[in-house]
Amino acid sequence: MKKIATGVLCAALAASSMTVPVLADDQEMVLYTWEGMFPQEVLDGFQEETGIKLIYSNFDTDETMLEKLSMAKGGDYDVIIADDYIIEAVVQEGLAEKLDKEKLTGYDNINPLYQGQFYDPDDEYTVPYGAGIPLIVYDPEMVDIEIKGYSDLWNPELEDSIALTANYRVINGITNLTLGKSMNEEDVDSIKETGEKLLELAPNVRLIQDDNTQNALLSGEASVAFLYTSQVMAALAENPDLQVVYPEEGLGFGIMGMFIASDAPNKDAAYQFVDYILQPEIAAQCFDYMGYYCTNKAADELVDPKLVVPDSVSSGEIVQNVSQEAEEQYNKNWTEFRAACD
Amino acid sequence: MRRRKFGALWMILPLYVFTLIFVAGPLIYMIALSFAEANEVHGVNWIFTLDNYRKILEPVYLDTFLQSFRLAVTSTAIICLVGYPFGYFMARMPESRRKKTMLFLMLPFWVNSLIRLYGWIIILQKKGILNHILQSLGLIEKPISFLYSYPAIVFGMVYALLPFMILSVYSSAEKMDWSLVEAARDLGASRTKAFWTVTFKLTVPGLLSGIILTFIPSMGLFFIADILGGNKIVLVGSLIQEQMTRAGNWPFAAAMAVVMMVLTTIMIVMYRRISHVKEVEGIG
Amino acid sequence: MNENRMKKNSKFAGFYLGLIFFLMYLPIGVVVVFSFNESKLPVRFTSFSTQWYEKLFHNSAMLEALCNSLILGVLSCLISAVIGTLGAVGLSRIHWKTKGVMEYISILPLMTPEIILGMVLMAFFYMLNLPFGMLTLLIGHTIFCVPYILMEVKARLAGMDPALEEAARDLGASPFRAFQDITLPLIMPAVLSGSLLAFAMSMDDVVISIFINGPKVSTLPIKVYTQLKTGVTPEINALCTIMLGVTLIALVLYFLVRRIGKKNRME
Repeated sequence: MKKIATGVLCAALAASSMTVPVLADDQEMVLYTWEGMFPQEVLDGFQEETGIKLIYSNFDTDETMLEKLSMAKGGDYDVIIADDYIIEAVVQEGLAEKLDKEKLTGYDNINPLYQGQFYDPDDEYTVPYGAGIPLIVYDPEMVDIEIKGYSDLWNPELEDSIALTANYRVINGITNLTLGKSMNEEDVDSIKETGEKLLELAPNVRLIQDDNTQNALLSGEASVAFLYTSQVMAALAENPDLQVVYPEEGLGFGIMGMFIASDAPNKDAAYQFVDYILQPEIAAQCFDYMGYYCTNKAADELVDPKLVVPDSVSSGEIVQNVSQEAEEQYNKNWTEFRAACD
Repeated sequence: MRRRKFGALWMILPLYVFTLIFVAGPLIYMIALSFAEANEVHGVNWIFTLDNYRKILEPVYLDTFLQSFRLAVTSTAIICLVGYPFGYFMARMPESRRKKTMLFLMLPFWVNSLIRLYGWIIILQKKGILNHILQSLGLIEKPISFLYSYPAIVFGMVYALLPFMILSVYSSAEKMDWSLVEAARDLGASRTKAFWTVTFKLTVPGLLSGIILTFIPSMGLFFIADILGGNKIVLVGSLIQEQMTRAGNWPFAAAMAVVMMVLTTIMIVMYRRISHVKEVEGIG
Repeated sequence: MNENRMKKNSKFAGFYLGLIFFLMYLPIGVVVVFSFNESKLPVRFTSFSTQWYEKLFHNSAMLEALCNSLILGVLSCLISAVIGTLGAVGLSRIHWKTKGVMEYISILPLMTPEIILGMVLMAFFYMLNLPFGMLTLLIGHTIFCVPYILMEVKARLAGMDPALEEAARDLGASPFRAFQDITLPLIMPAVLSGSLLAFAMSMDDVVISIFINGPKVSTLPIKVYTQLKTGVTPEINALCTIMLGVTLIALVLYFLVRRIGKKNRME
């Protein structure tokens, strides 16, 4: 028994030791974001062009990133990509570098629609990297009613047939929109009302899930789904007959931002990387791969047309940080709602 | 006698040192955290408060604890029923086959648990393999919705945690002196009686360590409730996750963790009392 | 002879073991099949393709992460096997008042939700000024691996006759010899099963690892579970298939070689 175990382990170790990469250059930089945010060719292309070794480090949630970055006092990591709301905290804690735009030749390529947002009102710290608009997608073969907006999700016809994403601020947010309120409603009593409205949605919910939500729609487990942008794209790629709805009550936006850590070990490399990604061809490659809306104006013509936000969409609301009391009530609504779905 | 104790002292030294530094240290920090106050932006203010514990008493959160507990009890009971015979049969195999069985039991763990759950989804979904087979056999007319239900979560828990029970039962049944069973039979005990009076009693320590190893994680494995259950059952684990992340309220999360630990401890102690086991794992 | 009669499993037992094994491997079969699926989504099989294998071999970061996971799994498993086994045996011999408390504390990591454990460990390591990387990962994994081994070995030791080792000592064996020759062989199945469980936990841990890894060290589960924004790709299916394949081949070869060796010896 001991021998088997040792044998297996030795074989495993031998196999793995062959994959240790050869270090060629002493220049290196750490990119810190979710896995799967860049196509391999772009990462390889950057390393070839600049000779800088890129270390692709990952976090699961924005909060983990904030924790680790604040523990490292803005060091250890060079370029970070995360969601809008957390960047507000990052900036407040002084963990982001004020960008020297002289060093970013491609800075003007950015689509101004995604600039000047709450987390960085004067565009001092961030470069947007992809935007998301959660949308309703449904299978017209399985749904008899016409869906125009969020309020149609409450239709009793849709009993036990909706797949929802699991971001509680977003789901509370669309309920707010249905009731004609802001996604970022702060008044606790009003949020309680939202919670009651949300509870009425429970009988229609088949599942709530954050990863690969589109699969439920494709496999027929659900006939209507409220999906993140990359999921919408993945669903359409698999089944082009699906119907996409831009809800009439208004849209929720989410923007991912790229910033340089305040005490980044290799700032020069960090600027080079951000600038590399700002090139239209490279940006288009990235957005096509990720399936998020293109935030690079110059890349609009190169990218999959579905990833350019239609002109009809001129405004949307971003989920922002709210007071602790409001946040708590949103969370309570959510917990009650989930328990009621069963 | 003195010399024997001295030997034992060296043996427990690494465990004591390691546990006191790396386990007790962080846990004390966690308990301290549970009495602190959440900062508005991020992090905590070190001001003593009992609010976090008070908040758990709100019906929403109490319900969650209850639901988690119910799920853990159900899953653990089924795991016992399914896993005990397996461990028992495994211990009765010829020696050469036992080791192979043990290895093949653990081999599925090479496959990432998320990917394995996706495998189950493909099998169980409405247009999935199982429905397809049942339909072509003419057993059902319309596809059955297996997924996103309570049984699906329990099934997932059993699947994920079964080996813990099997291996625990196995390692305590394997050392059993089978001649005791033989003796009981010779004295006229029926097969069933011999099993309950001898075999079962001797394997209780294994069963108990198996219960601890399955009950505790089944309170926390919320990603199973997420993927197979469609998140419709709220587990304490996922509540804690949400408080730690999006809600940014660490002290409340820590308080829930402390309560969960206390509840689990009470459960284990109670179980010990009921089963009258003196020398038992975990809690001395 | 009698013992043989008692220990023989019935046909039902064989059927039962077979059924459980079938269920355990059923989703694994699906994982393998879908590693050859053209589509990125695990919904239906569209057409045969080896593209995920090609992509995997170009993804050096993923392979490096696998390597880290293997090293980490083996090392943390070995260290915790030593700490846990010695600890369990040692604890069975002393009768201190603190004994129960100690055992309780050492299994507490199992009762702590991973995300909290990860967070407090990160803060704690920072306080101790430990450099984040392989070392912190190793300590962290050992923390949650020890309880598995400790509990398995304790269950095995319960009710075991301490007189055996005492007898060996009386016959003049050193404590080390007595432990090695008498106790260790008796508890070996428990050490092994505990280690296998611990290894599996280490190979699958993401929540704790993500907090305590350094910027330059990733593990395989970290690479898998952080594909949140774009969805997990079948590259992981391909990777798991290769790992399973290699392990299976190694096992089969080992058993074959041993069988041939045995036969030769018999002749």
